[in-house]
Amino acid sequence: MCCSSSIERDKALMGEPEAFDISAVKGMKFFDPHVHMTSRTTDDYQAMADAGVVALIEPAFWLGQPRTGLDSFRDYYSSLVGWERFRSSQFGIKHYCTIGLNSREANNESLAEQVMEILPLFIYKEGVVGIGEIGFDDQTAAEEKYYRLQLQLAKEAGLPVQVHTPHRDKKKGTQRSMDIALEHELDPYSIIIDHNNEETVKEVLDRGFWAAFTIYPFTKMGNERMVEIVKQYGPERIMVNSAADWGISDPLAVPKTAALMKMRGLSDEAIELVTYRNAITAFAQSGQLDEADFNAQKNVDLTEKFEGNTILRGGQQPRTDKSSIIIS
Amino acid sequence: MKRDDTRAMQNALSAIVKSNVSAESQNWLESIIQSADQSNKISQAFVMVPRKTGKSIIQLNDEQKVLIEEVGISYISNWTIYRLCRVWLLSALNSEDQDKLHATVDRLFLAAEMNEAVALYSALPFLAHPEIWVKRCAEGIRSNIGSVLEAIMENNPYPAENLDEAAWNQLVLKAFFTEKNIKLIVGLDKRANLDLASTLIDYAKERWAAGRKVNPQLWRLVGKFINAEIFETLKVGLQHYDQIEQRAIALAVSQSNYQPAKDYISTFPELKLALLEGNLNWDSF
Repeated sequence: MCCSSSIERDKALMGEPEAFDISAVKGMKFFDPHVHMTSRTTDDYQAMADAGVVALIEPAFWLGQPRTGLDSFRDYYSSLVGWERFRSSQFGIKHYCTIGLNSREANNESLAEQVMEILPLFIYKEGVVGIGEIGFDDQTAAEEKYYRLQLQLAKEAGLPVQVHTPHRDKKKGTQRSMDIALEHELDPYSIIIDHNNEETVKEVLDRGFWAAFTIYPFTKMGNERMVEIVKQYGPERIMVNSAADWGISDPLAVPKTAALMKMRGLSDEAIELVTYRNAITAFAQSGQLDEADFNAQKNVDLTEKFEGNTILRGGQQPRTDKSSIIIS
Repeated sequence: MKRDDTRAMQNALSAIVKSNVSAESQNWLESIIQSADQSNKISQAFVMVPRKTGKSIIQLNDEQKVLIEEVGISYISNWTIYRLCRVWLLSALNSEDQDKLHATVDRLFLAAEMNEAVALYSALPFLAHPEIWVKRCAEGIRSNIGSVLEAIMENNPYPAENLDEAAWNQLVLKAFFTEKNIKLIVGLDKRANLDLASTLIDYAKERWAAGRKVNPQLWRLVGKFINAEIFETLKVGLQHYDQIEQRAIALAVSQSNYQPAKDYISTFPELKLALLEGNLNWDSF
């Protein structure tokens, strides 16, 4: 997710925008293991599909403002395994999700208690590949309480955990998140620590956790820094995501970073690991993620409906499969 | 804040409201406050205020300027009339039944749009029973809406007087993250603490690792707590970064009792001179 920061739009400082040249990574497949598609448009899905994104994970998070009642959570979780999954399928992208109570809203304890009660109804659903994103925001006692309860839930369910690390006081928050996971006797290999930076990556990898990096404009990682990190630490247990959401973010962050890695001389094997394979390895531990599903998803039928609704609005024509030789 | 101070602030608000709204609007506002069904009426009126008052910035005469200075609310001088009226309405809520007061205000928070949220957080210093708004204030700091954060962080005496250390530290950290005007945080120096200083030091290191600059005001909160570990980070800042940051670090060191850092600063002729001339202060950053 995002946090606000100043947004420099001075062209003298930023230079002219460069068009993203996908040709460097043409034909490669990508997996964005953290992207909030609920906040994105169909144009984003199209652009992602065109750039080679074949699958993604949408972690449950907050909507930019706190929910005031349980039903909002229930509908949101339902949409992650329902309408949003369907919408993604219409662009040939396999949509998985992780389900959890996010850290900010854990601070509303009376509501958090109710959310904990309905979580077991969602975490065992098909295509739910983990508990997430959970962890700390401002590191309060309430956040810790619900983080621990959800770790326990993940342990019982045998699901990986996607840990959101805080924007503020990140280093200590990251250490604390890992300490607590180990206290609950979870295997670090089942835990994906997200939103890393140069200050946290070494310890996360040294302790055996997965280190995810969010390429997010202005606030988190830039992809030039990301290239340097992979050069320094190698591609093992590292994955890249966009965390694109309702903020100023880029749903093409994964393929763009891959393209930059290619241009900066990283090997195809390394690029494939950090932008595709590692995320699959980590989240497949849920037993809910199979690469074969991605291919099945490619046979898009835009005339399909979800509970009687389609993504096509009045007069719109389905997008045709341009690789097909048959024109009908 | 003492009850007498709150009363004085409230009286100042009343005077300014009266001189900034039409007689008709004033009668309407008065009738809401005098109503037997005050808390329900105020809830509805709170939302309606801009329709009755318009949205212009308030005008103050010289006497009023002195008055708000005296009661410590000169920051309201750039408020809109509807923000002022909303805060004034809330300040007039009957405070005898604490639970009822809490329920009335909480309901407004739950349904608030942006400008209403700004008014609600601005009203915190004017509400009775300050202790019952602590959780709400901490919740507000989790917002990501700039104007709402500004209403809490800038020129608002409530947080410094009422938040516990963890929530206070979050406020300051988030103010740096969201690039608010740090100088406008009330009680900034008074509530500086070691935990905050060490978190800010980690933050500075993150910024440097990302090739970003650090707000010089950060060092203001570190000065008093310089120790061997913080000193090592200060050295990095002094060696690699820009003149403004160097000067801010030098000023922080001059306000500490940590002698090795003071000796180290003396090895930078330009910084030594700037400190000797005595014209460095936190307002200059």
